[in-house]
Amino acid sequence: MYRIKQLSIFVENKTGQITDVTTILSQNNLSIKSINLIDSNDFGILRVIVDDEQKAKKVLDNAGISLKISDVFAVAIDDHIGSFNEVVTLLSSKNINIEYTYTISNNHNGAFIFKVNPNNFNQVIDILQKNNINILKEI
Amino acid sequence: MTWNKIESARREDIEKVQLSRLKDTVERVYSLTPFYKEKFDEIGLKPEDITSLDDISKLPFTTKKDLRAHYPFGLFTVPMNEVVRVHSSSGTTGKPTVVGYTKADMDIWDEVMARVFTMAGATSEDIVHNGYGYGLFTGGLGFHNGAEKIGATIIPASGGMTDRQLMLMRDFGATILAATPSFSLHMAEVAKKTGSNYLKDYKLKAGIFGAEPTSSGLKKEVSEAWGIDYHEVYGLSEIIGPGIGCNCKESELLHVFEDHFYFEIIDSQTGEVKPEGERGELVITPLTKQALPLLRYRTGDITSITKEPCKCGRTMLRMESIIGRADDMLIISGVNVYPSQIEHVIANTEGVTLNYQIIAEKKGHLDKLEIHVEVSDDIMSDSLGEMAIIKKNIQSALLNNLYINANVILVQPRSLARSEGKAIRIIDKRKENV
Repeated sequence: MYRIKQLSIFVENKTGQITDVTTILSQNNLSIKSINLIDSNDFGILRVIVDDEQKAKKVLDNAGISLKISDVFAVAIDDHIGSFNEVVTLLSSKNINIEYTYTISNNHNGAFIFKVNPNNFNQVIDILQKNNINILKEI
Repeated sequence: MTWNKIESARREDIEKVQLSRLKDTVERVYSLTPFYKEKFDEIGLKPEDITSLDDISKLPFTTKKDLRAHYPFGLFTVPMNEVVRVHSSSGTTGKPTVVGYTKADMDIWDEVMARVFTMAGATSEDIVHNGYGYGLFTGGLGFHNGAEKIGATIIPASGGMTDRQLMLMRDFGATILAATPSFSLHMAEVAKKTGSNYLKDYKLKAGIFGAEPTSSGLKKEVSEAWGIDYHEVYGLSEIIGPGIGCNCKESELLHVFEDHFYFEIIDSQTGEVKPEGERGELVITPLTKQALPLLRYRTGDITSITKEPCKCGRTMLRMESIIGRADDMLIISGVNVYPSQIEHVIANTEGVTLNYQIIAEKKGHLDKLEIHVEVSDDIMSDSLGEMAIIKKNIQSALLNNLYINANVILVQPRSLARSEGKAIRIIDKRKENV
C-alpha cells in the first residue's frame, strides 16, 4: 500500500529521445499519469508514472530502452499554505533524507511525489500516517 | 626446473649461439629463396654484411602478405620430400598462410614445447588433457608432441564436447590442462553446475593456456575457477606454433626461447628498433628453422621485452603478455592506445558492461576521443548523480591508467552500430579525412 511505481527511463540528450519513449507508451495504450524530466549536459532521466508499469517495462525493454522501477509515495496537496512544508519538516525532524520531490496534477488538487531511501520507506509512511498526512494509494 | 640448461645460460653465451645461427639463416635464405635474394640485392645487402646481432636491423622485414603472395609453398627452402608436416592458419580473410616443417624443425618444436611443459611444472608423472583442436591449427599437435617429449601421458581430447571432456578429465585424473582460456572457462562453468565443490572431482594442478589475447582479469578467473597455476604460452604458426615462450611460476612475464628465435620490438610506423622495455610490435626471426626460415617476421602483436633476470634462474628474455595488435593502435594526442587497453579499463569499472564504442575525431587540430558506453539496466539509476559518477569513474580510470582524456558518453543499449551481429568497437573519423 502507498507504494507508487515510478519508471526512471534513460534518455540521451538528442532530439527525438522523449518522443521515442512516449510513442511506445501510447502505441501500447499506456496512460501517462505524470512525467518529469531531469537532465544534465549529456543525458537525462525521464521519471514517468503510468497505469501499468510492468507492461511499460516490457515494451520499453523490447525497444532496448534502459529503465529502473522505483517506489515513491504521493501526498495530496491540501489547499492551504504550508502543506508541503509540513511534510518535509516532519521528515527532517526524524532525520529522513528526501532524495527528490516534484509535484503532479491529478483530478483533485494535485500531489507531491517523494522519493526516499527504500530502506526508510515503511518508516516514513508510518510517521506520516501518525501525523494525519493524507498519503494517496493511487494518483 | 628447466628442460634444457641453455635456458639459464650466461647471456653472452646465448648471444654467441644466436649470432652464429643468424649468420647461417641469412646465408640460407639468400642462397635458397629468390624472394629474399631479390630483397637483399635491392638494398645492396650481402649475407657477409651481418657480423653482429645489431646488424639484424639491416635485414628486410617479412609480413603475412609475403606469405600469402607465395601461397602455398613458395617460401619453403627445402624440397617437398624433406617436408614432413604442413600446418595452416584459418585464412578467414583470404588465402590461408601455410607453414611447413622438416624432421629437424619438428624436433625444435618438440624441444621448445617440452620447455613449456617443464616450466608449468609437468614431468613424465603427469597426465595432460589436451583440449586444443587437432588439425591444421598448430595448437593441438604442438601440445601433443611436447607432452610426448617429456614422457607425460597425453589425452588427445581436441576441442568441443564439453561434458565428455569433463568426464575424461575426472576419470583419467588429468593433472595438467592444455586449452584456450575461453574454452577452459567454459568447461569450468559447466563443471560448476554439478555443485560448488566440483573441484574435489579433479586432480588438475596447472594449466597451459594460449592462442587468445588474455587480460590479467581473465587469467585470474580461469586460475580460480580450476584452482590451478596459470601458465600462458605464446606462439604463432609462421614462426613454429605454440612454444615461442611461456611464463614460469615466478611472474606473468613469458620467457622466450632465444636460442631458436631472435626477438626485436619495433615502432610499427617507422620500423625502427625500440630500446629494451618499450612497447612496440614484436618481430621474430627464427634462427634454426629449415623448411621456412623467415627474416624479421612482423607478428603484428604489441608487447615489450626485458632482460631483467628472473628468480627462477632462467636468463632468456622475458616478454609481457600481448597487449594488442599493431593494426588496432590509435594515437590520441601523441599517446599510443590500444582498444584492448580501453576495454580493460571499462571491464574493471564497477557496474559497466562491455558494450562500448571508441570514437576518435579531430576537433580543429586536436584529437578528441569519445567512448560511448551503453547503459544497461544494471547501471541504470534514478539519480543523475549516481550515473554521472559512473561516467566520471571511467574517465578518471582512463586518465590514470592510459594518460588519455576521453569523454565518456552514456548511450541507450543497442544503439551502438553492429555489423553482422558483431559490435563495431572503433570508429576513427580522422582517417576518413585523410
